[in-house]
Amino acid sequence: MKELFPAKQVMGFIFSLVLTVVALLVYFMDMSFTVGMTILLVTAFIQAFLQLVVFMHAGESKDGKSIYTVIYYGVIIALVTVFGSLLILIWDM
Amino acid sequence: MEFLKFFERFAIPNPSPMIYGSMVAIALVSIGIVVGITYFKKWGYLWREWFTTVDHKKIGIMYLISALLMLFRGGADAILMRAQLATPDGKLLDAQHYNEIFTTHGVVMIMFMAMPFIFAFMNLIVPLQIGARDVAFPRLNALSFWLFFAGAMLFNLSFVIGGSPDAGWTSYFPLAGNDFSESVGTNYYMLALQISGIGSLMTGINMMTTILKMRAPGMTLMKMPMFTWSSLIANVIIVFAFPVLTVALLMGTTDRLFGTHFFATSNGGMDMLWANFFWVWGHPEVYILILPAFGIYSEVISTFSRRNLYGYTSMVASMVLISLLSFLVWTHHFFTMGQGALTNSIFSITTMAIAVPTGVKIFNWLFTMWKGKIRFTTPMLYAVGFIPLFTIGGVTGVMLAMSAADYQYHNTMFLVAHFHNTIIPGVVFAMLAGLTYYWPKFFGFMLNEKIGKTTFWLLSVGFVLAFFPMYITGLDGQARRMYTYSAATGFGPLNLVSFVGAGLMAIAFLTIVYNVYYSFKNSPRNIGSDPWDARSLEWATHTPVPEYNFARLPQVSSSEAFWDSKKKGHQLFTGELKDIHMPNNSGVPFIMGIIFFIAGFSFVFALWVPAVIGLIGVFVCMALRSFEVDHGRHIHVKEIKEIEEKLGGAKNENRPHETSRV
Amino acid sequence: MKIDHTKPLEYSTDQNQLNILGFWIFLGAEIMLFATLFTTYFTLQGRTGNGPTPGEIFEITPVLIETFVLLTSSFTIGLAIHAMRLGRKKAMLTFFGITLLLGLGFLSTEILEFMTYYHEGATYQTSAFTAALMTTLGTHGGHVTLGLFWGLFIILQVKKRGLTPENANKAFIFSLYWHFLDVVWIFIFSFIYLKGMIM
Repeated sequence: MKELFPAKQVMGFIFSLVLTVVALLVYFMDMSFTVGMTILLVTAFIQAFLQLVVFMHAGESKDGKSIYTVIYYGVIIALVTVFGSLLILIWDM
Repeated sequence: MEFLKFFERFAIPNPSPMIYGSMVAIALVSIGIVVGITYFKKWGYLWREWFTTVDHKKIGIMYLISALLMLFRGGADAILMRAQLATPDGKLLDAQHYNEIFTTHGVVMIMFMAMPFIFAFMNLIVPLQIGARDVAFPRLNALSFWLFFAGAMLFNLSFVIGGSPDAGWTSYFPLAGNDFSESVGTNYYMLALQISGIGSLMTGINMMTTILKMRAPGMTLMKMPMFTWSSLIANVIIVFAFPVLTVALLMGTTDRLFGTHFFATSNGGMDMLWANFFWVWGHPEVYILILPAFGIYSEVISTFSRRNLYGYTSMVASMVLISLLSFLVWTHHFFTMGQGALTNSIFSITTMAIAVPTGVKIFNWLFTMWKGKIRFTTPMLYAVGFIPLFTIGGVTGVMLAMSAADYQYHNTMFLVAHFHNTIIPGVVFAMLAGLTYYWPKFFGFMLNEKIGKTTFWLLSVGFVLAFFPMYITGLDGQARRMYTYSAATGFGPLNLVSFVGAGLMAIAFLTIVYNVYYSFKNSPRNIGSDPWDARSLEWATHTPVPEYNFARLPQVSSSEAFWDSKKKGHQLFTGELKDIHMPNNSGVPFIMGIIFFIAGFSFVFALWVPAVIGLIGVFVCMALRSFEVDHGRHIHVKEIKEIEEKLGGAKNENRPHETSRV
Repeated sequence: MKIDHTKPLEYSTDQNQLNILGFWIFLGAEIMLFATLFTTYFTLQGRTGNGPTPGEIFEITPVLIETFVLLTSSFTIGLAIHAMRLGRKKAMLTFFGITLLLGLGFLSTEILEFMTYYHEGATYQTSAFTAALMTTLGTHGGHVTLGLFWGLFIILQVKKRGLTPENANKAFIFSLYWHFLDVVWIFIFSFIYLKGMIM
């Protein structure tokens, strides 16, 4: 029975729950907008990374390098698109 | 006759004699095709060999035929525009029809001519160049083609049923919204591009996986031929750029069909968001087009200079850099839209930066030719003509990149000249070079050299005459997308020169048709499988290429595997013959194409019942595919031996090599 | 079909490996799809026209339910794959089924959430903000819905044909999809809901 609940997955799940609760604190406690956003950014990216590496086994096969390259490339271009668009249309308009 | 009112929605809002004439022509040709196929009893053949194929080579041929047909549709649009503008106050086209024509010209040339042309070469060449038997996902590959075809057919239907889109190939809001584009034309735009875009994304995933995982033993990434490298990078760009277009088209569709306020001018909508997303996709799109073209030039220049490509590593590095930078420059398409100087400065710098890796490539091609033994065949002429012409287009691009200066150039004919100056010598010349170069491999005879050279010269002179005057009239103030101008502007004489140039280009394209006909009738068929004395693995196959590509998978040890096997005696094909596993044909991709077409057409006309049924149909096909058990089939050793015997034995198995030099 | 018995079942044939890499690349494309939706949302979130603002309609309770349900389902699908690698077919199917049930719970909560928005005057057509919100949430929810059907089909195939290399490959790829949807939800949760409620 114990073999069905591997330590890595369980720890990953618990850590995700913790990160979610930390993010929730931003709502339940009265923080400044900047502090709140920083905490949300950190918890979100850590949890995303956790899912990628621990749950999705991104690096486990010999295609691991290609997979990480694709994901990093995608994240970089995604960030450029999001923040570039915000700059163009809102912050510098 | 109440129910006839239902059909009124399909009428053309702005008919003209030309449009009516086209309707008749389309109807007659369609009937003629159906009757002809039936008469010659070819439906079974078509279904078995083409509509249900998953063979990358046949899919490539279908893309090629589609691209060539669409070239003539887009070209007809171009001639009409040039004829209208040849004289001041021209009366050939009114404003509405001019708008429809420049819109369809742009969409057809980019999405339904250039894209399928590069997909044709990727499909035909990449698996052969890496020594593979097919792509990673043959069924998906077929689906990609039929989705492209459905999108293209849907778009082409617009000008005879319901009305063409007329808001430019960029379809900016609020012009493209319901207030200013009342006909269904823009719906066609949104849905046709969405359908074919899904096909393109699938090709991106398919080609990337193929190139990353299916290379022959010994072919490391840095030993791949340059066309394969350029395809890999282009497909990376496809994977990350097309989803942006998918979302933008979705939002444009819901604004028009469901009353959402993404790009609307009320309730918080932001029309500029469309332009932003269009170009986040649109700029990488032009690199998707140009990189495979660069790949073709690398193959052609290296073969006809009889030298290894100079600077392999920097060629690869420059393309990797271009792929990343291509996502960092998009705002240069709308420097004048109202954003601040900070934004414009950043994007000016990134835009100028992207010229650098391209420049590196130009120098590498020149160094490849330096001290090479040059043969001025037709493909080589295109490559040599490309270099100065494209460079001019590139430097006008750097001019446009300076955002302050761009306030003068934007949306004048200067811009039109620039992008045609990069696309025609860049992409179109490469496609024609590739067509001529690879023709003998897939069709078993050479295209006539004399006619080919005539085409090149007519096209080049015509191109210069057609587009260089636009640089001048643009600087003089002639705006883009304007259906007419007065004599007092002084734009007349140069526009007339443009028209003459366009006429020469049209003749050039007709000589291609003549070349195919003439060569089919007269070219000798005994040209062997390596008529150009080429360098990479695709030429190590028989002509015609057997279904399974290679009887034995090649063993590679250099970046010019075939050349080295010819000149240094390296054995490409060793070992025992084994049964070859091949995928089965399938009718599902073709059927899904039809379903997407029906769904798309229904959405265009807001016919909700068939639209929903169509969507459900798509999901049903996906469900059936999930439950399907299909393990393909095997070609047994006995059959392989027979085919190999018939085709003349495998290449480089201690036999004297047959080439016929041109 | 050559099976490499040194590798986990889902990686054990050439085609299996191609399928897995191909799907990761598809996920790269999906990153850009959702990035575009997020860009739309961030750009339009303040443009509420005559309609309600985020703060006026977001409620913490359904968001909490959706988040914990989806996160747990991501955990259970991981357990399902682990059981699959141990060859424990029944355990795998049990965890798979729980995952889909949790997914159904997520969807139900979300549908109720949308119905509440409609009653409060935040409809699809109300403003740019509502369009962006519902399209982003709806695209994610649409992906979950597709996942429910896909997961069900895999369960049926494993039950009927056993744990073959092909089924294992499909189940693993489904798990990648499901985890990805949870990653997207993390960003929705943080930067749409929480951000909207603290602004």
